[in-house]
Parts: sequence; C-alpha cells; structure tokens
Amino acid sequence: MRRARFPGVVVLLLAVVLLLTATRGWTQAKPPVSVALVAAMSGGSALSGEAIKRGLTVAIDEINARGGLLGGRKVELVIRDEEGNPSKGVTAARDVIEREGAVAVFGGLHSPVGLAMLPVFHELKVPYVGTWAAATGITRNGRNPNFMFRVSANDDVVDHFLAKHVIEKLGRQKPGVILENTPWGASNQEGLTKWFGKLGAQPVGFEKFNWNDPDMSAQLLRLRNGGADALVMVANAPEGAQVVRSRAKIGWSVPTVSHWGISGGRFAELTGDLSESVVFVQTYSFFGKQSEAGARVIAALKTKYGIKGPEDILAPVGTANAYDAMHLVALAVERAGAADGARIRDALETLGEYRGLIKTYRRPFTPEEHDALNEDDYILVTWRQGKIVPVSTK
Amino acid sequence: MIVQLVFGGLALGSMYALVALGYNITYATSQTVNFSQGQSVMVGAVVAYALHVGAGWPWVPSVVVTLIALAALGVLVERVAVRPFLRASSIAWLLATIALGIIAENVVMLVFGKDARAFPSSLAVTPWTVLGAGVYPHELLVPLVGIALMVLVELAFRRTLAGRALRAVAWSHDAARLMGIDVTRTISVAYALSSVLAGVAGILLAPLLNVSATMGTTIGLKAFAVAIIGGIESARGIVVAGILYGIVESVVAGYLGTGVREIIGFALVVLVLLARPWGLFGVPTPRRV
Repeated sequence: MRRARFPGVVVLLLAVVLLLTATRGWTQAKPPVSVALVAAMSGGSALSGEAIKRGLTVAIDEINARGGLLGGRKVELVIRDEEGNPSKGVTAARDVIEREGAVAVFGGLHSPVGLAMLPVFHELKVPYVGTWAAATGITRNGRNPNFMFRVSANDDVVDHFLAKHVIEKLGRQKPGVILENTPWGASNQEGLTKWFGKLGAQPVGFEKFNWNDPDMSAQLLRLRNGGADALVMVANAPEGAQVVRSRAKIGWSVPTVSHWGISGGRFAELTGDLSESVVFVQTYSFFGKQSEAGARVIAALKTKYGIKGPEDILAPVGTANAYDAMHLVALAVERAGAADGARIRDALETLGEYRGLIKTYRRPFTPEEHDALNEDDYILVTWRQGKIVPVSTK
Repeated sequence: MIVQLVFGGLALGSMYALVALGYNITYATSQTVNFSQGQSVMVGAVVAYALHVGAGWPWVPSVVVTLIALAALGVLVERVAVRPFLRASSIAWLLATIALGIIAENVVMLVFGKDARAFPSSLAVTPWTVLGAGVYPHELLVPLVGIALMVLVELAFRRTLAGRALRAVAWSHDAARLMGIDVTRTISVAYALSSVLAGVAGILLAPLLNVSATMGTTIGLKAFAVAIIGGIESARGIVVAGILYGIVESVVAGYLGTGVREIIGFALVVLVLLARPWGLFGVPTPRRV
C-alpha cells in the first residue's frame, strides 16, 4: 500500500511545481505598454511617416531588449495613417487611445493634423509628442495642463534662425523669399516678415509657387530685379530643386538658405552639383562623426531596414526626432510608474537628464517649455557630393 | 527679362501643343478625348526612366520601347474606357478615362515610389546664354523636336494611307465605312498615336520637370485648355495656341506674379469659349444631327 502511494505524492509534488512555474511564467507575460504613431504613411509625404516609424521602432527595440518598461512590460507600437487629412487624424487619435489603449501618441509631418488633434489629447488626457510638424501653435496653445509636447523644430524659431543667419552671418540686407503656396508657406511668410522686421531688414518680395510648378525663373527674375542679395526658400524637395535649377539657369549666384522641407526627398539627386549651393536647417545629421547613439542607430537601421549608409536615411530628421521622442516617453513612463496618460504627461515635465541622439537633454521639458529642441540645437547643413554635412557658421 | 520668359514659355508651350494634338486626333476621329493624356505624359517619363536610368539601357532603345508601350497604353485606354461607351452612345468615356488616369497615377506611386527622381540629360546641366537670357540647351531641344514632330504628324495625315484613313474617319464614319475603312480600328490607331505624342512630351520634359507620379496632371489639364482655345478640331490652331499659351503664362508670371498666372490663363479659356465656342482657329460647323 505504502509503496503504491509514494509515486502519487511525487506526481502531486511535480504538479504543484509545474503549476507554480507556469503561473510565474504567466504573470511574467504582462500586457504591453502601447504607444501610437498617427502620421502620413501614404501620399506625397509618406517618406516622412516611414522615417518616423523607423526612428520609433529602433528605440522600441532597444527598450524591449533591455526588458521593456514597468518591470517587464514590452512596448508596442500602433500605427495609423492620417493621409495628411486633419479629420482623419482626429478619428485616428481617438481610435488609438480608446481602442488600442495608447498611453502616448506621436505625431507626423502635417501641422494642420497636429492642430486638429489637439482637443482630443486634452479630452482623453494622453500626451502627444510631435516628431516633425513645426507649427508654433501645436505646443504653444495656452492650455493648462498642456498635453502637447514636441521633439522637432518650430517654424517661428526656424524663421528667426534663418533670418539671423542671412542678416548677421551673411551680412545681407535685402533678402528675397520664395515659398510654396500652402498654409506652411504662409506660416513662414508670417515668421520671416516678423523676424526680418525685428532685425531691421525688409524683404524685397515674397514670391510663391504651386506644387509641381516646372519653372521658377519668373519668380526669381522678379526677386533679382527687385534687388535681392540673398534667397530664402521654403520648399519641399521637388519644388526646391526647380527653384535652384531655375536660379542657375538665369545665372543668378546668390546665397541661398532654406527651411528643412528640401531634406524630405531626393533634393541632392534632383539638383546634382547645385545642391552644394544651398544651406538649410536640420536637427541632426547622420553624416560625419557620430556619437555612440548615432552609431548605434545607424547600425540598427542597417540590420533592420537594409540601408547601406547614412545616404539611405531619407528624411533623416524624422528618424532622429522620433528616436529621441520615444526614449523620452519611455523615461516618463518609468518615472510615472504607470501606463497612464495623465501621469506620463506630468512625468514628461519633470524628466531629468537624458543622453540622446540629437543632444544631451538637461531637462527635456518644463511646464512652460514643451519644445525639447530649441534654436541652439538647430544646425546649418549643406550637401557635399550628395551627403549632408554641417556648415560652420561661427 | 522678356527673352528669358519667352524661352521658358516656349519649351512648355510646345509640349502643351504636342499633348493637345493628341486630344485633337482622337476627337476628330471619334468625338472623344482621352482625359488621361496627362498621365500618359507621366507614364512616358516613368517608363523611359525605368529603362534608361533604372535598367541602364542606351537612350535610343529606351525611347523606342517606351513609345511602343505608350501606343499599347493608348490602345488599351480606347478598348477599355472608350469603345464600350461609344457603342452605347454614352458619355461615360469621360469619367472612365479620368478613372484610368487616376489608376495609372496610383499604380506608379506603388511601383515607382512617391518621390520625384532626376532624369539626367547632358543638355540640362550647363545653361547657355542666348540673347542675354540663360537657357538650358535641352529647353531649346524641346520645342524643336515638338514642332518637328507636329509637322511630321501633319504630313503623315496627308501623305500616307493610314493618315488618309484617319482623316476619312474624321470626316464621316459612314462614308469611311463605305470606302472599306475599318472605323473601329482607325479610332484605336488614333488613341495609340495620341498616347505616343503624350509619351514623347513626357520623355522630353523629364529632364526639366523631374519624374514623379503626379508630373503630368497639370500638363494634361493645360493641354486641354489649349485644345479648347485653339479649336479642338483644328490641328494648326492647337499648335499656335499651345505655344502662345506657354509664352503668355510665363510672361504673366514674370510681370504680374505667379499668383495671377492660372487666373489669367484659365480666364482666357472662358473668354475664348464665350466669344468663339469653336476656338480661335476652329471653323464653326453646323452641328450634325
């Protein structure tokens, strides 16, 4: 009898041990922490959405490789395409928060979409972290508490940066401006008018062009005949290329500075050697000597997306901004100690130092300043043989 | 400044004319037009890019194969989007051709990508100075080839058997049929020819405009305006109107600003339609009932 009961005890013990390990394993498979990207993934700006997605993914892979957040919860990325359409952005923002449970939402290139989604984030109490769209009103919106954060440029600041460069560094007094006939162009016309005015210069003209315009000679002739001694350009890659080619055609050599739209496409390929005559703004350059973080990101992009080198990182600012934005959100989640939008928002405002890709953020955000990057973080760059290299402005 | 503007207008204007001639050819033979002509321009540029830049072919075979592909595209458009509706005397061909154009644009976005690519031409690197204006040699080549081609088409219409068949069909389907001309086939040829002309415009413009899925849309629209201004049944009128439209557009942009360019351009279309519904160079014909 006794001999017969012994195996029964062993079986029982084994079963208990198995059950214990199984439930331990089970409790370890904690629910993921969801974050979302609502950006243009299709259409003319699809490249920017892809670039942002890559930056976020590389950062998330790093975080998950370290064991995730909040004691072992993996970070999961949900992506929605807003197609550059503000009302689709609003629907998508609600969807990712209410149905997918996203605790932070990253934004894409289009400012009108970011502005339209603003009330949703305040209503649902989930922070938005912009990675591209530069409209001033996204972060400076007068709300308290303010749920809008940004790791990107800001049109108003970029316009000041460009105006200062033209007046103080280049010593020019009569800039001519050529910009695209869109709300983005209009917001920069406002900013440039303001900052050139404050610096005591009067632009000789603001010329406009439409998307897909083939020849910009007429606009440039008007600026040249108006006496412009510098050219400021607000354009995306295809039209920016036409501006520069038309400028060369009419034989006008004039210093040309540009907003960063031209870096969202193949400007260097479209203009060849002429690309070297343009300086423009970036938040980060993957060319040249890289920090440890830069080298790590490039290596990750190589293995994950099969790029050959930094020249394949299209729309680089999207990737760089998104990478830092994701890590900042991760730090805030840890600091908040919970996957909860409102607490993450509070934590973002009190984050300490973070050694990021773009820079070392001493204090990324404060209650007053929701833009993590400022004028000091902008760099002026140009192309040399198809590669983006920083220019010294000192 | 005026010389500079005229050069700019000449290159684009001659291409408007070339594309508009395509509208003329199909309209004359079948009273229909291919509203995806603009997309045919784009397809011409994209296919030439894929062969010449992508696959590294020399330019002669690239151009030949591109034009054969464009002819096939024209035949396809006619077969799928025009013939079924023509038989039913419906004007649904209008929407159907627009739909095909949108499909073409999106297919190219999927296959070719969304960003503009450069089409290298050794003639569009260093500008020449002509009469005090800067101009890329390629910009001079464009109107030259365009006009030569238009003359060639006109000659072919008058001297060759196929050309005469086209003109006969344009005159009267019934009479042509009685003379043993295959009207359906002739319309198909007209569509092929019209697509080929658009394709040539695409190849010629590629180095100046860059290659992208949306490069043809505006050109197609403006070429249609040109066809209306010149008189859609008058080939010569279209050639003149196209070149004039390009130059006026450029001069207006230069002196009055780009903001008013499209306003004046399209206001012209309305004015011409009001004053001479048959176009500047067209002949008022009593409507055949």
